[in-house]
Amino acid sequence: MTDHPGVPLPKPVFDPDLLSRCISCGFCLPACPTYAETGDEASSPRGRINLMRALQNGDLAPDDPTLKEQSSQCLGCRACEPVCPAGVEYGQLLEQWRDHQWRGRRMPVLARALMLAAGRRVPFRLLGRLRGTPRTTVVETSALASGGASLMLGCFERVLFPRVGRAALALVPGLTVPASQSCCGALHAHNGDTATGERLAHRMGEDLPGTIVTTSGGCAAHLASVLGRARVRELSDHLATGSAYRPLGELRVDGRRARVALQDSCHLRNGLGVRTAPRDLLAEIAHYVELPSAGTCCGAAGTYSLLRPRESRRILTTKIDEVEAAGVDFVAAVNPGCLRQLRTGLRRRRSQVKAVHLAELLLMAGESRFPVA
Amino acid sequence: MHATARAALRSVVGPGHFRETDGELVPYSRDATPLFQARPDAVVFPADTAEVGAVLDIATRYAVPVIPRGAGSNLCAATVASRGGIVLVLTRLNRILEIAPAELLARVQPGVTSATLAEAASRDGLLWAPDPGSRTVATVGGTIATNAGGLRGLKYGVTRDYVLGLEAVLPTGEVIRTGGRLHKDVAGYDLTRLLTGSEGTLAVITEATLALRPAPTTTGTGIAYFSDLAAAGRAVTAIIAAGILPATLEFLDRSCIRAVEDFARLGLRTDAGALLLFGDDGESDAVAHALERMSDVCTAHHALDVTTAAEVAQAEALLAARRCALPALSRLGELTILEDATVPRPRIAEMVDRIDAIGARHGVTIATFGHAGDGNLHPTCVVKSQDDTDTVTRAERAFAEIFAAAIDLGGTITGEHGVGAAKLPYLSTQLGADQIDLLRRLKTAFDPAGILNPGKLGS
Repeated sequence: MTDHPGVPLPKPVFDPDLLSRCISCGFCLPACPTYAETGDEASSPRGRINLMRALQNGDLAPDDPTLKEQSSQCLGCRACEPVCPAGVEYGQLLEQWRDHQWRGRRMPVLARALMLAAGRRVPFRLLGRLRGTPRTTVVETSALASGGASLMLGCFERVLFPRVGRAALALVPGLTVPASQSCCGALHAHNGDTATGERLAHRMGEDLPGTIVTTSGGCAAHLASVLGRARVRELSDHLATGSAYRPLGELRVDGRRARVALQDSCHLRNGLGVRTAPRDLLAEIAHYVELPSAGTCCGAAGTYSLLRPRESRRILTTKIDEVEAAGVDFVAAVNPGCLRQLRTGLRRRRSQVKAVHLAELLLMAGESRFPVA
Repeated sequence: MHATARAALRSVVGPGHFRETDGELVPYSRDATPLFQARPDAVVFPADTAEVGAVLDIATRYAVPVIPRGAGSNLCAATVASRGGIVLVLTRLNRILEIAPAELLARVQPGVTSATLAEAASRDGLLWAPDPGSRTVATVGGTIATNAGGLRGLKYGVTRDYVLGLEAVLPTGEVIRTGGRLHKDVAGYDLTRLLTGSEGTLAVITEATLALRPAPTTTGTGIAYFSDLAAAGRAVTAIIAAGILPATLEFLDRSCIRAVEDFARLGLRTDAGALLLFGDDGESDAVAHALERMSDVCTAHHALDVTTAAEVAQAEALLAARRCALPALSRLGELTILEDATVPRPRIAEMVDRIDAIGARHGVTIATFGHAGDGNLHPTCVVKSQDDTDTVTRAERAFAEIFAAAIDLGGTITGEHGVGAAKLPYLSTQLGADQIDLLRRLKTAFDPAGILNPGKLGS
């Protein structure tokens, strides 16, 4: 046996209270997509926490290749959290890990470039205007006092999927859309820059009065972790429980009620515990079909699809197989990353199924019109 | 470990299934047992029986320990490489080879999880009865190697009651098949039973033939609350004395109820001193009758409140919550030291009282839950900070006394978790010198070179 009398790092990488929560029972193993893929304990939440501990205690050299590989191989889907009886906040630990592991030049170039772009206000606003993002409104400070809600447009979402914001606004006309908003910082927090992640979330909290409504589950979870759960509502959560909205109409395809599946947003489901809201809304306007792995990551996982395309695509392939087998007309997403990922997978497969954001589906049903692909 | 041994191992399992760097080894340094940790020299993931044999052959040649491992969810440090060596992970052997409804049996590889087998069996209307709390994680191989119990022990028995036959590789390289598909087979010593619960010290199990049962048509569950755990214990004794043999009789004390409720949010009464979960399965009339009788006994034994869950989903949720008791307890502190003392059924209330007294004497908080119907208790000491060595020492002293109390009451130091490295120091107190000596001779007969899981049973 080799002894490893570790010398702890001068500055702890992890919050010791978070790290000591895990008792290694292994209940997380069956929930972890990367463990299912590899069967290697190192790719499981429990194994990764043991790696984190070894890093923290100095039992492993900080540049150990397994530390590097595992901190990046993890999807960060947080599926391990709801199944953990001990209440380990794995998502927080992963952010702290990447903050250490990817510090400075070790951060993947692609992630760095995206974060640089997302942190700025102007380019997104201009691009968004070209793509037809909802008109922003000038917000009076009284809106904050009256407890109104405002719509977060999302840095990439407003450019990639401008219709989503417009649909949200059509569903909840009372939302204010402050012009001064950029990125919520989720991108940064998940990619090794927790400080900027927090700073941007606070800035969002200042820019957007009242309850912050977002059409992105990932952004919602990040904002809630910084600003508090009470300040933030993901759209389906807001529609189902936080507003007077009631779903109208019916989605129809070929003269029958449409069949619709859902891909959960991992952070919405595992981080914020929102599971029933999007399903309930869909069941009102269509025939809802639960995918066997609706709650499992689609492989988008923020920047994962860009940083680890091969693994991401493997996970997506299984997902698309399932969507195809379910015989649905639509698969709904509640997060822009998932929407992009599903569309890519369905297009590659030349599938008849369309991936559409929940907000758009609700709007289509209300207006009884067919989607434009 | 010798470089040529490493090269040989790599060529047997293939480079993709061999691990040797520091970072790769860290995740295999421990299992679910607190306070036990040791880094192995290598980890291998064999694909089949032949590769297992080849690994053992190399280990023998280079005199390197081999530690067989499933999912690493055991609670007795059975899979910690206390003396270094090769961790032999069997999770790639994860196929269900056959389910034979006509014979009421299944043939599986060791890496299948208990829950996966149970699901597959249920599709044929059959029940895989062994039901350890870790069923979604634990492999069948590990369940057999530790002779795991679980939540159905009272009515259905434990793993050993369902193992019909095994294929195993001896450390000397021979592949043996013990038992088989027969429920009646008395040819030779019962090696199947000897290997069951041998904790990877005698042979490596590579296939198992397991008995299944017809799945019960109905399941019913109820909850009774008591002022304290001893009161619940008296009700348990009375239930069994009344001739009822239910599928479930589980209890939790106040600390456990609160921790479980904090995680599962089922609306349990957190003001009660103890909760008794009782349930039965079978034909619907019989289940209803058993639940009614158990409710009556609980009421007669001063239950504060008795309810019976109407829906199966609720019953499942209650059982799932009970399975989480141990990890949920860890919400209360950094370190949870769990034990497994078991006493004859009529003495359970007495044992609960003794545990309370021992905890008080040593100034440690001990939360207790367990399989009340089996007399199987899991007193658990939650320590706020891992660095609090004083409390850890006092907890260890308290547990040494708890073991002594269990033996004193005619019980055992471990009902279902196993001996492993964790309880080996206490084993001779229970078994005596002659039996320990026999264990060692048996170990030598199987493993003359002493390469299989040294520092555990038979060492």
